[in-house]
Amino acid sequence: MILSLLAQVGTEAPTPISAAPDAAAHVPGPSIYWPALLPLLVILVGGLLLLTFSSFLRKAAPRGIFATATVVIAAAAGLSALPLWAQVQGWSSLLWWDLHPDPVGPYTTVGGMVGVDGFTVFVTIVLCVAVAIAALLTDAYLRREQMEGPEFYVLMLLSAAGGIIMAMGNDLIVVFIGLETLSIAVYVLAGMHLRRVQSQESGIKYFVLGAFSSAFFLYGIALVYGATGSTNLVDIKDFMAQVVPTQNGLLLIGLALLVVGFGFKVAAVPFHAWSPDVYDGAPTPAVAWMASGVKAAAFAAMVRVLVLTFSNYGGTWKPIVYALAILSMVVGAVLAIVQSNVKRMLAYSSISHAGFILMAVEASSSQGNSAVLFYLTTYVFMVAGSFGIATIVGRRGDGRHSLADYKGLARTNPELAVAFTLLLLAQAGVPFTSGFFAKFYAVEAAVDAHSTPLAVIAMLSAVVSAFLYLRIIVAMFMAGGDDAAEGPVPSRADRIPLPVGATIALAVCVVATIGFGLFPDLLVSAAEKGQPALVQYERPAAASAPTAASTDGVPDVTGTGAGQ
Amino acid sequence: MGQYLPILAMLVLALIFAGVSRLVSQLLAPRRPSVPKAAPYECGIIPSHEPPERFPVKFFLVAMIFIIFDIEIIFLFPFATVFRELGGFGIGAIVIFSAAVFESFVYLISKGALDWGPVKRLQRSDIVSPGRTSASTVRRVGLEGREPAAAGEAA
Repeated sequence: MILSLLAQVGTEAPTPISAAPDAAAHVPGPSIYWPALLPLLVILVGGLLLLTFSSFLRKAAPRGIFATATVVIAAAAGLSALPLWAQVQGWSSLLWWDLHPDPVGPYTTVGGMVGVDGFTVFVTIVLCVAVAIAALLTDAYLRREQMEGPEFYVLMLLSAAGGIIMAMGNDLIVVFIGLETLSIAVYVLAGMHLRRVQSQESGIKYFVLGAFSSAFFLYGIALVYGATGSTNLVDIKDFMAQVVPTQNGLLLIGLALLVVGFGFKVAAVPFHAWSPDVYDGAPTPAVAWMASGVKAAAFAAMVRVLVLTFSNYGGTWKPIVYALAILSMVVGAVLAIVQSNVKRMLAYSSISHAGFILMAVEASSSQGNSAVLFYLTTYVFMVAGSFGIATIVGRRGDGRHSLADYKGLARTNPELAVAFTLLLLAQAGVPFTSGFFAKFYAVEAAVDAHSTPLAVIAMLSAVVSAFLYLRIIVAMFMAGGDDAAEGPVPSRADRIPLPVGATIALAVCVVATIGFGLFPDLLVSAAEKGQPALVQYERPAAASAPTAASTDGVPDVTGTGAGQ
Repeated sequence: MGQYLPILAMLVLALIFAGVSRLVSQLLAPRRPSVPKAAPYECGIIPSHEPPERFPVKFFLVAMIFIIFDIEIIFLFPFATVFRELGGFGIGAIVIFSAAVFESFVYLISKGALDWGPVKRLQRSDIVSPGRTSASTVRRVGLEGREPAAAGEAA
């Protein structure tokens, strides 16, 4: 098939050149504002260099070198996003560094393909943090499972690069490329543990279902393109502002398919069936990345596409997201209770969390957007920390994840038990933890958007899921005691060793969870400033090409600071 | 909706083709079932015993190399036809792309994709005899199920 394709290309191609020799129209390349892509480039090139470096390494790599390199790359990417943040906010200086803000406020670059706004930059930084935490957890895990090598880290970095592309995509095609880059790396990560059958199974399951949902998403893009004549988010929005969308079946189906694609990636309920199996089988540090980073990137793209682009189509997608939110919260909370495997419990609880974030998305307001950001940030720390503890408790073979394996953890590893308790309480939404404010802002956004029933259901489901977290806490602290029936009493001798990297990661997660719970203002003000915006691409004056390739048939509206 | 008529026609044609193929194979195919054919993963040879759990299938690495260069070619050919129009930007983009593709080739080589011959890096295991080389492996698999295995090669 490929050969025939090539043959076609080969035979057809000479015609235009011979028809117009040398007078062929010069296609102008898009003007690229490189600093806007810096975080993406750092993480992408960093990942590739890491792989190259390891390929030329003749001896065994020094201990922990790959994890350190990954953390450094992620930190560099995160730091390189800070000037962007200052630029988007219109600051003239960042600490002591005097900036010369060229484009102030949100802007669009690479020919209208990439949008840079507060939301994008915020999510980029969150993704970098998630990669760093997951890399720290991975280090000791790979050594324990005898899987040492750079591949795990490289895949994680590439997947993060996909996540950043997804968050900054200003065009449905770019969003799709980001989605695929993100997903394909994660499919491999899920099947990375060669000696665990469950890992292989989860890899193939995730791949088949994920590819299926990607097809849905792509079909949605095609239909939206058919209905609006563009894949550019700004152009789609402009189209819908001009044409009164009454009976556009094509657009409706396209929108519905896009929602299916996003729903799968964030594991919202009718599309959640993969998530417990995959989370259960995949290597636990990979799950920490999957649950935190992948979800954050998917929600970022979801906000850009649904809340921003289809803002005046809210009557159509809001009820769908409303239903998804209710189903996710309720089903996630209820099914989590009947599990006996902690990784599966956490998987269902992350479905329930997705429901809360969907509730904030459904509000479709600036308040809702900042609630999404706040929730995603705190959620990254909570869930990465929780799966970090599951990584350590899983022990060699990564197989000991049943609730029984957590019995008496408070006796063997009190510090682990306390950390896990704090993270679980935060997930339950107990006051003085970041989880409380995350849920609070999401509910507040829903109430302000007059979705009171949704808010009530959210609070009820939070109560239900609190039972689940308490179940784990009870197992850790109150079991394995005097009851002879429960087997031998675990003692300090059964201590699980705490690796250095994972300890650092857990400390960061716990400190962030408690810190944002005690001083939420630090994060709230940033989340409020991190608003998404759609900006019409402004062709730079210097390269005023007569034939604009990317803005065919679109009225040349320049410099409208559109958005919310 | 007239413009969507071809899609409908395609759908109908696909259904007809699938139905007719199934029907024709039902009617025309000769039916001579035998045990080897009915066995799972049939290849015409009756399996005598389970193979070792894992044995190196080096060809998948060759397939990977093939895929890598296949993908590169898929992009290089169309690029070659329009590289004049694309100018410097196109060349820059294709160089970056080729570098990234070449990187994966370097990685594959470092993983031993081109190191043929006796297996060097595998750990010793009871199910695989230590004197095994690619030649003996191929011979043994080839003879399986046709005549009794040679005395020295029992796993």
